[in-house]
Amino acid sequence: MATTELSAYPGEGFEPALIERFVSLHHKRVLEVGCGDGRLTFQYAPRALSVLAIDLDRPSIEEAVFEQRARGPSNVDFRLSSIERLNAPGAPFDVALFSWSL
Amino acid sequence: MVHALRRAGGYLRRGGMLVSIRPHRTWRPSVAIVAGRRRLPVATLLNPAFERNLQAAELALERVVDEGSFSLAGVRSARYRTYLARPSQVRTYLELINPPRPRFPRGARARLNDMWDSAPRGARIEVAESLVVTALRRR
Repeated sequence: MATTELSAYPGEGFEPALIERFVSLHHKRVLEVGCGDGRLTFQYAPRALSVLAIDLDRPSIEEAVFEQRARGPSNVDFRLSSIERLNAPGAPFDVALFSWSL
Repeated sequence: MVHALRRAGGYLRRGGMLVSIRPHRTWRPSVAIVAGRRRLPVATLLNPAFERNLQAAELALERVVDEGSFSLAGVRSARYRTYLARPSQVRTYLELINPPRPRFPRGARARLNDMWDSAPRGARIEVAESLVVTALRRR
């Protein structure tokens, strides 16, 4: 029972495993609404074909882009946007994911 | 929320899946002290403002199903646990949660400190939280 780096979210892989009980993300086009800093995005993106990840919080999106430059993956397009104002290249998507954002 | 779901549905192909991950509304966060196989419950945390938001989310998901644009593919709940080394980390942990944050009921934080003072060596503080995944299929 190790004390790990403090986070208020589930551990790595926990949420993608739950999502994939309903739908495989393998080679799918994913729209993620409320991606924040990409914490969850980076967990599943390597399995997806492409990801459009949006959030209204500019610092979070900037952090996500910074992290993406540092570690990839390259198939994610992080954008500052709400779902209401989204101009969505890549649509139609196979999966729309509301990650802690509804 | 209904509008956001409708918009997302508009970007989905027919048969595509809309998945919502969010905190569980009725499985509230709880705090316990664990030592070996012993688990001593301390408190269930409160967050009435957030529970209203979660209820609104549930109603929005039900509504888009009722409207006929989605069918319910499934719902699954799960619990996850974080282990903390000392009571001061509980405050830090709660501050990591986006507002509105859960809080201890009256007297429970003092009870945590008292129980911690008498906990055996090697004990940890367990924060258990829950989430729910709802999957809707685009018709």
